[in-house]
Amino acid sequence: MSTIPLPVALFAAAQAMGFLLLAPLLRGLIKKMKAAFQLRQGPRLLQPYSDLAKLLRKEPVRSTTASWVFVAGPRVYFASALAATTLVPAVLAAAPLEQAGGILLLVGLLALGRFALATAALDTGSPFGGMGASREMTVGALAEPALMLALFTAGLSAGTLNLGELVRRTAERGTSIHPSELLAAAALFIVLLAEAGRVPVDNPATHLELTMIHEAMLLEYSGADLALVEWASAVKELLFMTLLAGLFLPIGVATSLAPEALAISALALAAKVGGLALLVVLVESTNAKLRFFRVPELMAVALGLGFLALAMRFF
Amino acid sequence: MIHDFVVLCAAGMLVSVLLMVGQKALVVAIRLYCVQSLLLGAVGIALGLAQHRPHLLVTAALTIVLKAVLIPWFLLRVIDRVGIRREIEPYVNVPASLLLCLGLTVVGYRVSLGMAGASQGVAHQVVGVALSMVLIGLFLMVARRKAITQILALLTVENAVFLVAVGATSGMPLVVELGISFDVILAVLVLGVLVHRIVDRFESMDTSRLSNLRG
Repeated sequence: MSTIPLPVALFAAAQAMGFLLLAPLLRGLIKKMKAAFQLRQGPRLLQPYSDLAKLLRKEPVRSTTASWVFVAGPRVYFASALAATTLVPAVLAAAPLEQAGGILLLVGLLALGRFALATAALDTGSPFGGMGASREMTVGALAEPALMLALFTAGLSAGTLNLGELVRRTAERGTSIHPSELLAAAALFIVLLAEAGRVPVDNPATHLELTMIHEAMLLEYSGADLALVEWASAVKELLFMTLLAGLFLPIGVATSLAPEALAISALALAAKVGGLALLVVLVESTNAKLRFFRVPELMAVALGLGFLALAMRFF
Repeated sequence: MIHDFVVLCAAGMLVSVLLMVGQKALVVAIRLYCVQSLLLGAVGIALGLAQHRPHLLVTAALTIVLKAVLIPWFLLRVIDRVGIRREIEPYVNVPASLLLCLGLTVVGYRVSLGMAGASQGVAHQVVGVALSMVLIGLFLMVARRKAITQILALLTVENAVFLVAVGATSGMPLVVELGISFDVILAVLVLGVLVHRIVDRFESMDTSRLSNLRG
């Protein structure tokens, strides 16, 4: 086992910190835009930070029947989301820990987080926890293959499974659009909606336990534990948007460490993520939440698009 | 650059058709058709500007006005009047029809490879997408029960043919295009009236009930 050289460690830490610090802002931005669509004022942009700060100060209350699994759940979820951020190229056309692995490791880390949270939700024996876990795994089992197919399509066109290498090659090759890329991007967008618990799949603002998917797993959590889960979910959402922007819209990505290139790249990334957030808000505002048994149909669309994208690569 | 844009729009049209297959709400299907027509219009405008073919601009403008505004508005009004909002039980359920449509797309692409002059470059992508759209449109026409969905499927096929005419050939004469546009609007009007009549008589938009009329 070799030790990680210092610049890589610094880069990884900086990128993880960036994701951590900016993720709540994305949540706030989406809430604000959604409120604007409904002609409300909405909470202020920085409200998610205040919520997190409040929750982190509170003492978590745990059920007497809860075991260590319940305590470990949020921590593993948070850690896996944070680790996943170091595998994705964001501002620079390189991922900090790209030596460690590519697409498969990323999908694996996300699955690990989901597994930890679902087992933790089952641990207290609360019926809602079990229900939420079962639903989350159902959606996850359908979203994961769609995610992999979409990522593989991008990987196939660049000839590598390493995300950093992939973005570099795409940026080098310049614009030469193949229809499969749009299909894969559409599939990835549907997966994003499912993974972030957005409206056609799940409603993040609901207070009705029977319709919850992600939230139902969190009903037993409070205080710092809850803050960790919320924070990790926000990071995951930002991660998916960065991934979508990086793989399918590699415009303006910095390939060198020159300050002006980095500044342009950061601005471009912010614009792309903002655009995606607007798209999510549009979908959320114009669609009703699907009945749970119709969610598989939506995920089948994502799976179909992903499969087709991959198949079209061979023609 | 211009080729990329055309391919992107064509791919967008394919995505819109697949999404149309993937859900059941009639309003969403109409909106998807609207998006699809807008993309077709964008292809027309882009090619018209890039290759200095002014009559393509007229075609594109006509496409956008008729197919992205007028027809969707008319169809939305029809479903508003008759109060039927979704496809309840298609003959083929959604996951199965998606699978079939994937197969059809692959077939469309494969067939386009065999066409002279359409085996590479932009023409290949455009013809491949258009053939797939024709096949999926025909499939939707037989797999769905509601008259509105069948009309939308027919219009999708028409859009696909138009895409080939604009994107892969040097275009049809303006007179022909005008004629087709009026045909389409007339067909939609007649079909709209037909939907009203079907709903009046059977209190449903289900076209399978039409066979009740057999003596």
